[in-house]
Amino acid sequence: MWCGIDLGSRQVKVVLMAGDASWRRFSFDTVRFYRQHGRLESGRLAVDLSSLLELAGALPEVVVSTGYGRQTVELKGAVAMPEIKAHVRGAIFLTGLSDFTLLDLGGQDSKVALVRRGRMTDFETNDKCAASTGRYLENMAAVLDITMEELSRHQQDPVDLTSTCAIFGETEIIGKLVEGHGMGALAAGINYTIFKRIRPMLVRLRSPVLVFTGGVAQNRALVEIIGRELAVDVRVPEQPGFAGALGCCVEARDIASNCFKGGGN
Amino acid sequence: MPRKIGVTTTVPLEIIYAAGCIPVDLNNVFITHASPGALVEEAELAGYPRNVCAWIKGLYSTVLNSGDINTIIAVTQGDCSNTHALMETLQLEGVEVLPFAYPFDRDYDLLRLQMEKLMGHLGVTWEQVYRTKERLDRVRQLVWRLDRLTWRENLVSSWDNHLYQVNCSDFQGDPEGFARRVEELLAEVENAPARQPTGLRLGYIGVPPIMDDIYDYLEERGARVVFNETQRQFTMPFDVDDLVEQYRLYTYPYGIFFRLEDIIQEMELRRLDGIIHYAQSFCYRQIEDLIVRRKIELPVLTLEGDKPNRLDARTKMRLDSFVEMLR
Repeated sequence: MWCGIDLGSRQVKVVLMAGDASWRRFSFDTVRFYRQHGRLESGRLAVDLSSLLELAGALPEVVVSTGYGRQTVELKGAVAMPEIKAHVRGAIFLTGLSDFTLLDLGGQDSKVALVRRGRMTDFETNDKCAASTGRYLENMAAVLDITMEELSRHQQDPVDLTSTCAIFGETEIIGKLVEGHGMGALAAGINYTIFKRIRPMLVRLRSPVLVFTGGVAQNRALVEIIGRELAVDVRVPEQPGFAGALGCCVEARDIASNCFKGGGN
Repeated sequence: MPRKIGVTTTVPLEIIYAAGCIPVDLNNVFITHASPGALVEEAELAGYPRNVCAWIKGLYSTVLNSGDINTIIAVTQGDCSNTHALMETLQLEGVEVLPFAYPFDRDYDLLRLQMEKLMGHLGVTWEQVYRTKERLDRVRQLVWRLDRLTWRENLVSSWDNHLYQVNCSDFQGDPEGFARRVEELLAEVENAPARQPTGLRLGYIGVPPIMDDIYDYLEERGARVVFNETQRQFTMPFDVDDLVEQYRLYTYPYGIFFRLEDIIQEMELRRLDGIIHYAQSFCYRQIEDLIVRRKIELPVLTLEGDKPNRLDARTKMRLDSFVEMLR
């Protein structure tokens, strides 16, 4: 059995995969995760996985981790893997495709990777700004007092939002509300804002097929907007938020089989 | 007490040393300060905007805190427009500013005129300046060797390659003392084993990094920077007798296309696997990134740096992904 862990900004995602390639997933609130399973060791935060993995029933052969957390968190007994590579491997596993553009919109960052013949050949990230991330959507839904599900149903007649800042955008939305714009148009405007922010990356690293992962991929309106505006075939795999953890799991499986063959390090 | 003259970027050093003055590259003083972040904050408290290049802010505070730098040479063409405002805010505080402009079209006569004006200000003749060129070239040759030992024999670390080349912008105020330190390093490395000859070979182009740990971070991951574009230019790597021609061949002030000729040549010579194109946050050079990507056929990683002086988690993630991609 192998284990992949994606230490995200909002959720820690864990995937356990058995020899027959069936897999189970778990997710934990990030802060709660570190509080319950982390402790300070020689000035660094160490996370002891054994207590966590008891829910697996058995200890996995190999554990691979990814996510921003991995830079400052020392995961005992885990091998670290670069985030973008983890998401690409996960996307390949979930879709069976080898030529596509990967779009991953997570809690706090957005990544686009160009995949050709199963290998990443170029990438871009929008990691300094929250205006195209899951956090932005959560904030805006809260301002409008609607659920994320409701937000992700609207794309008609979008209101034009000009603020480039996720925080100051909240004030702008309230202003539009007072002007008399309907909830649907406001929600559509929010979804279009995300599209506008990520469009330059998607255009530069374009493919006929776009695989969309990350929590934000559950926003149906955004999926349709991207497909229509860029004339690409957008595929959202099952459990799109777990692509990173799955990619780690697949990597863990490869590491284990290399060791078994005696050809690994 | 020899007079110290601060410089905001490389200018004809020969003229300053010929006048018996000590050139001080303000960028080097800023970045090696115990707390460069505090210098940036100081400028912001004085009124510099948050969304402006951190180097400019650092230079401002560095000059005002120095105590013994009352004259600076500000490059008004061949670096950036922020330098103009930097100059003006320093003039406001009573600092003497001598302007120097590299002609955008590399015109020989205009460059010669600029050099003669500076020579006039500092009271030196062409004879004195040429004698100083001989003196400085002796030091530069040692650093050219250090660069060759970096990319050809893989004996010098990418950090040392960066450090010793970048310091050629002022030779730390003491060319002979600096030369001795280079000779010591050369003696040390020539007897040491080669470094990772089978690792990835990278080029670093753009202004020197505001983060100190980028070179070691990459080497720890099996990727060596064996070409530091701008830092190498500071060493005047040209075999030329005419001083005006020397500063006409120096690529940094003359736009991206002239720089790309040099970059592409070195890329092929040094058999690079990829290029890191670094630009400072809020810097116009980020626009040139699209030109770099069109003209360079190797994989390019665009890196943006803001505050001094350590890599942040996001930048590390991008470096990791780039190295992983090249393997």
